[in-house]
Amino acid sequence: MRFIFNLTRREIRSSWRRLLFFFLCIALGVGSVVALRSLIQNLTQAVGTDARALMTADIEVSSTSDFSPTEIAKVEDVIGKSGIVEARNEAITTSSMARPADAANQNLKLVELKGIEPPFPLVGNFELEGGKAFDFTLIENGGAVVANILLEDLQVKVGDKIRIGEAEFVIRGSFDQEPGGSSGFRLGARVFIEKKAFDDAGITRNASRVRRRILYRTSENPTELVRLLRETLKGTTVTVQSYRETQERLGEQFTRTENYLSLTGLLILVLGGVGVWNVARAFVEQKRKSVAVLKCLGASGNKIITVYLLQILTLGFIGSIFGILLAQLGLWLVGWQFTDVLPEKMVYTINFPTSGQGILLGVLISLLFSALPLLQVRNIKPKLLLRDENNANLRKLDPAKWIFGAISLAGLLGLAVWQAGSFTVGAFFLAGLGLTSLVLYAAAIVLTKLLRNIRSVGNFPIRQAVNSLYRPGNQTRIILLAVGLGAFVVLAVQSLQTNLVREFDFTRNQRLPSLFFIDIQKSQIDDLVRIINERIGEKAEATPTVRARIAFVNGQPFDFQRSEVRQQQGQIGREFAVTYRPNMDDNESVISGAWWPETVESEVPEVSVEEEMAGRLNVTPGDSITFDISGRKITTRVANIRKLDLRNTRTAFVFVFRPGILEKAPQSYAATVLSRVPATERQRLQREILEKFPNVQVFDVADIVSTVQKLVSNFVLAISFVGSFVILSGILILIGSVALTKSQRIYENAILKTLGAKRLTLAAILLTEYGLMGILSGVIGAGFAVLLSYAVSRYILEIDWTFEPTLTVIGILTTAGLVMLVGSIASFDVLFRKPLATLRSQ
Amino acid sequence: MIQLKNITKTVRSGSDDLTILEDVSIEIPDGQFIALTGASGSGKSTLLGLIAGLDAPSTGEIFIDGDEITSMSEDGLAGIRSSKIGFVFQSFHLIPSLTAFENILIPMEIRGQKDAKARAIKLLEEVDLTDRGHHYPAELSGGEQQRVAIARAFANQPSILLADEPTGNLDSKNGQHIFELMTNLHKQNKVTLVLVTHDGQLAAEAQRQIVLKDGRVVNDEITPVPVS
Repeated sequence: MRFIFNLTRREIRSSWRRLLFFFLCIALGVGSVVALRSLIQNLTQAVGTDARALMTADIEVSSTSDFSPTEIAKVEDVIGKSGIVEARNEAITTSSMARPADAANQNLKLVELKGIEPPFPLVGNFELEGGKAFDFTLIENGGAVVANILLEDLQVKVGDKIRIGEAEFVIRGSFDQEPGGSSGFRLGARVFIEKKAFDDAGITRNASRVRRRILYRTSENPTELVRLLRETLKGTTVTVQSYRETQERLGEQFTRTENYLSLTGLLILVLGGVGVWNVARAFVEQKRKSVAVLKCLGASGNKIITVYLLQILTLGFIGSIFGILLAQLGLWLVGWQFTDVLPEKMVYTINFPTSGQGILLGVLISLLFSALPLLQVRNIKPKLLLRDENNANLRKLDPAKWIFGAISLAGLLGLAVWQAGSFTVGAFFLAGLGLTSLVLYAAAIVLTKLLRNIRSVGNFPIRQAVNSLYRPGNQTRIILLAVGLGAFVVLAVQSLQTNLVREFDFTRNQRLPSLFFIDIQKSQIDDLVRIINERIGEKAEATPTVRARIAFVNGQPFDFQRSEVRQQQGQIGREFAVTYRPNMDDNESVISGAWWPETVESEVPEVSVEEEMAGRLNVTPGDSITFDISGRKITTRVANIRKLDLRNTRTAFVFVFRPGILEKAPQSYAATVLSRVPATERQRLQREILEKFPNVQVFDVADIVSTVQKLVSNFVLAISFVGSFVILSGILILIGSVALTKSQRIYENAILKTLGAKRLTLAAILLTEYGLMGILSGVIGAGFAVLLSYAVSRYILEIDWTFEPTLTVIGILTTAGLVMLVGSIASFDVLFRKPLATLRSQ
Repeated sequence: MIQLKNITKTVRSGSDDLTILEDVSIEIPDGQFIALTGASGSGKSTLLGLIAGLDAPSTGEIFIDGDEITSMSEDGLAGIRSSKIGFVFQSFHLIPSLTAFENILIPMEIRGQKDAKARAIKLLEEVDLTDRGHHYPAELSGGEQQRVAIARAFANQPSILLADEPTGNLDSKNGQHIFELMTNLHKQNKVTLVLVTHDGQLAAEAQRQIVLKDGRVVNDEITPVPVS
């Protein structure tokens, strides 16, 4: 054992420089895994999976319409009997426009309004700016507490007045983080007012998008109580949720995200592993004579393998530690780059257990990927010291090699399953990676075969460079695969980004409204259309809307006791704005059933259902849907299923009724403006309309689109950040491969120099060789990136896809440049070697 | 005692079989100094490699102190080399990543010898390289490297020393020095010394000369003049 430890120590001392890339491959891989996992864990921590605090209660009973007295009575009966409810409050939320009361201040902003009553919050704390605790008296008698961002947007301060709907509120406090509001996407800033002030402001009079909540704090586990509440509310659209279920759902979402991100990290680590494999091969090749000497001196093959394995494990361990340091650096970088979009409470330090996991992964990957190359040590015969027979045996079929290969593959599968947290996902990941690699590798084979045809074309450096790609033991295909994979990920993301950004380009979709007005009363519509026409010269399109909710589908109410139905509650249990019209819109098409004829009267009310909703409700033409419209149940027959082209739309209605039934129902209007008017003019128009019709809700679509665009570009930036790690791994593999063929290159250069080749010629060969390799990698990466971005755009995101020639060409050239640069730097010293010493040593 | 019985070594050369050694039978008693000579390609180094168990013969048997080694496993052969055989190569074959001192230490560490360091220091002294122990092979001259190789070969006090043209890569002065060092150690330690050489003068100093030609022993004679 002493021999093994001593030799390991001495070998590390002398070989660490040669194994530096090994070290870097592991460090980068482990760094990615630890950074990504820590990032999502910290995010989870910051956002808080403490669902109880998020809900601000233990049980939430909610509805998008007023609770009927019967519903309230049923709920209170069950609550009263349970004996575990300690406290209760009610809340009401909607979105509305807020504007400073000071007429000189022309700003206005969409806000998410929340009307609350004491005690608030039932669970958790609510801390205001300056560290003060929230006090309900702040919002009593026309007070409001607002998110800090709104003060900036409206350019107001605490003490100023704002108008929301028909009422005025004095801002008495501001906050950065509200209880129950740290997660999710929100269009406007939060404003808290007193619940009873909600009705006084006239906001709830006609407003859609209103949600009412009754919240309870319980002294015991609320699961049974929730079950009873659901049972008693069966057949209504009232939702009952316990914080435990929310906790579970949030926890699942975060765990899933964490596992997917870990797989991305694992992908980088596996690419690092390919680098390890190359370095280990080069290492064994360089150590052939030392191994033969050791065998000659009496060391057994197993002892020598143990020495090198220990060496690899030590370096894998130190590399992993270094990776953890890199991860910490990466997190700081994320904090610096994304501080605006990440939660304020977010911490940017790596987690201890994740680091331990990273070290274990790093060591295991080192072992799995170096085991096979190290196995070659067994085949090195001491007789090569007498006569180097070029180790012809090395390529012989070796059962041990197959066994170790299978063990390595099983180990890799184990790691993938471990990181994904699921056998299926892990197996799919490995299979997907294998398949992608195979396809890229096949493309590499085809391209190199094609290139071979030009090996006799051009001047000497070009011919020599092409020939170099085929030298014995060449790493051309593995480099093409590795670098191509990196380029593929980065370019696919970039291409998707370009298409996504174009999709959200406000100026492209001519039918996307710039302003959207809803909740307009019948008595207001003519005036509103006139004002718009006067101000911006466009006759706004007005559509009658009726608010309806689904009561039954084919005579059956929704069973919200079933979790899969409950998960869809937001989509199917909500209030819908429905309309009626004789014709289809330009952006609509019928995919099953038939559109109703204009002239013929129908005997039963008919409805057209949007494709996705039809899928959700599981209805086909001929089925029945019963709607609840202002308390009246109207049963309709599904006439057709309709597809909506959301890329070219002014309004999108999920349900369109056949004329003849809704005309008599209480209705309001929606109006849209298409003209692209400047922001200040839009704002002036909105203000004027709100002053005149405070009940109307206005959506500044351009404003919303820019919020979404910002989200998309942050998302793309995050993926590109991960993608750059992949390309970095590709570069490390490239360097490792250069190291693998370096001795051959040195020998070739020595011969060429002896034969009269100048340094410039040799440099030209070097640059051409890597340039060609880079172009091929770029072509492979860019080609598959185009295919992937097309498939994802069309079939997953369902957006328009356009080929981006500039991006593709820049991608190929950048890859070529990068490979040329890295390859040349890694082998530049070869040009300066004296040929005699090289030839003598051979 | 080394015994070679009807040794034949054939290798594949392209599509043909090439016979390097043919029906070679030799007995070498303990403590004898033998010079193996012959033209290039006559099979000298191959024969030496077979004695060391670095390669296996195609047919025939080799015995070291009565143990038949041709059927031994790789690890079994490594054990024999560790305990009984020292080897000196023409191109030294020191491990480049280890210092001179560590190169000498290695065989003893492989064998698990306890006083390895003390003995390595002594061996460095014996080959007159006390001051050069911490140097890497690349920092040593050819003669110094070969002295380290000799010290390494004697590290485990082998009973057999096999030397494959140990002076072939050295100038005459260094070559003479190395030769004297080996023969002195051979005498002091009473080891069997098998020396492959082209140098007739060196061969003449051996107790016995075996001449190979085309893989066959063509001459095997005891040197008339005893080594002084």
